[in-house]
Amino acid sequence: MEFVVEEGKRVHEECSTLILPALSIGNVGQLAVDLLVSSTAGERVGYLDDLNLLPCVGNDAYGPLPCGDLALPLEVYESSSTAITLAQQRSPVAKGMMIKFAENIAEFAASSGKKDVIVLSSLDFQRLHNLDLSRGPQVYYLSNAESDGRDDRCERLGFGRLREYDSEGRCWKYLSSVFEENSKDELSFPSEDELEDMDYYPSLPFAALFSAFKARGLKVTCLLCYCSEGDNIPDAFLLAEAASKLMGLSPDKFHGEEGGKWRIPYSWKSMYGAPPDMSMF
Amino acid sequence: MEDVLTENPPPSRFFQEDLNNFVSPSEPLPSPFILFSNPKPELPLRPSLLIVAISSPSLYVFHSLPSKSLIGSLIIPEVPFSGNTVEPSLQDKTCNIYSLTSSADDKNSILLVSVQLHVSPERSNLVSRLLIGQDIIPERVVILDSVQSRNFRGRLSPDETLAAKLETSSEKEAVTSRVNLDYFPSGSVIDGLSASLLSRCQVKNIRGTLVVSWPEFGSNVIRFVRALLKNIVPSLDVASVNKELEKCSSRKDAWTESDLYT
Repeated sequence: MEFVVEEGKRVHEECSTLILPALSIGNVGQLAVDLLVSSTAGERVGYLDDLNLLPCVGNDAYGPLPCGDLALPLEVYESSSTAITLAQQRSPVAKGMMIKFAENIAEFAASSGKKDVIVLSSLDFQRLHNLDLSRGPQVYYLSNAESDGRDDRCERLGFGRLREYDSEGRCWKYLSSVFEENSKDELSFPSEDELEDMDYYPSLPFAALFSAFKARGLKVTCLLCYCSEGDNIPDAFLLAEAASKLMGLSPDKFHGEEGGKWRIPYSWKSMYGAPPDMSMF
Repeated sequence: MEDVLTENPPPSRFFQEDLNNFVSPSEPLPSPFILFSNPKPELPLRPSLLIVAISSPSLYVFHSLPSKSLIGSLIIPEVPFSGNTVEPSLQDKTCNIYSLTSSADDKNSILLVSVQLHVSPERSNLVSRLLIGQDIIPERVVILDSVQSRNFRGRLSPDETLAAKLETSSEKEAVTSRVNLDYFPSGSVIDGLSASLLSRCQVKNIRGTLVVSWPEFGSNVIRFVRALLKNIVPSLDVASVNKELEKCSSRKDAWTESDLYT
């Protein structure tokens, strides 16, 4: 993976926190990063070029009016007002290459001086076993602050620890071993056919990213929410808000619409396609 | 009506294997490579312009151009040669490279690439690296593809010809010779080989333009591509493209593209 700095731009060392999405149901992590880039007036500083990422291009996603700035599959933005680096991923990873991709992006984060990483992801609502509607939409987390995934900051913010995380579980141990350079464990690659229900969480991209960043000695926190496929914009707001709380960002750090906090990215206007042709009525 | 069980998900949704760390990677394939004709030119080639035809209308226009010389072919090992002819034909599954100038080594040379085969998204990055930045280092790149209806968030009418562009930063900053088209609308994306080629240009800071047109077939869009190429390369002889234009008004028969009938 090569990091290419955009012509005329430079990387700011003080932007030591990296926020990035993990591919997940409903594209929630990616939508949340869109919202954060748009609302913090993030400036693109470069691209990450990786052979394992499927190609895609588009017009500027953020606006206020798209001016033809080319959007690439994996871009790096910086928000100097918030000291955050945001990486936005727009296309999937080639089949079977997620672990390699995670390793590459962890290498980028470590070599570019990042200290904290926040991974945004969603989980399939069908996997939620204990539904508690009394507290409203719940954000869950997984952190490497403690061995059981617990983190005091997240607990104080009211996020729920991902209790399904088991560092001794077969698949979690495999992920740890594959990213640790000096791992003495020789664990076999879990076959697709052997996966059981408990293996759902470590099979997801956020788990690969979590394990890769952890192996590089970075502080990593995954923020998660359960959702179904559909209109996932509310889920994106939930995760983006959670990330801003975790970062301790005050509302004045944002450049929202009409004095508010959030600015809707221009590209969201056509998210569900063109409106129906009213001439047929 | 499509079967709801096997129907492809909308493009923003994932297949299960996209979200599974433990899916086995595809079987490794031999790398694509470029085979140059004799005498082999001095590499890397440094054309002033590289034009890549991916859409059917642009392939038709390229095929009809006289005075182009075949200088090489990009070989993708998993694509069978069976059914290909010795003389280049529109029905061939090939990726031929042509020179429009007398010498491919000439620094003012113009190269054409006719991508007459399907390049999978997984192989696109390897192919684009071969065409841009290794054996061929162009000063400027123009890529001609069709709007992908599956990735387009607006309305596409089969009766209406439309075209749009995306370009690299260095192309945007160029003072001369830019393609005069509206930008591709934000919110829609282009994937596959054309996206990989344009991305490669951006990363390598090369002037690059991707022009996408609609519909995918038809004489109107062929006329558009012909006019566009004439605008980009004024010396290009496009007169022969007029012949038999009306025969290209409908989609090619699917069976002629099937590997079963080679």
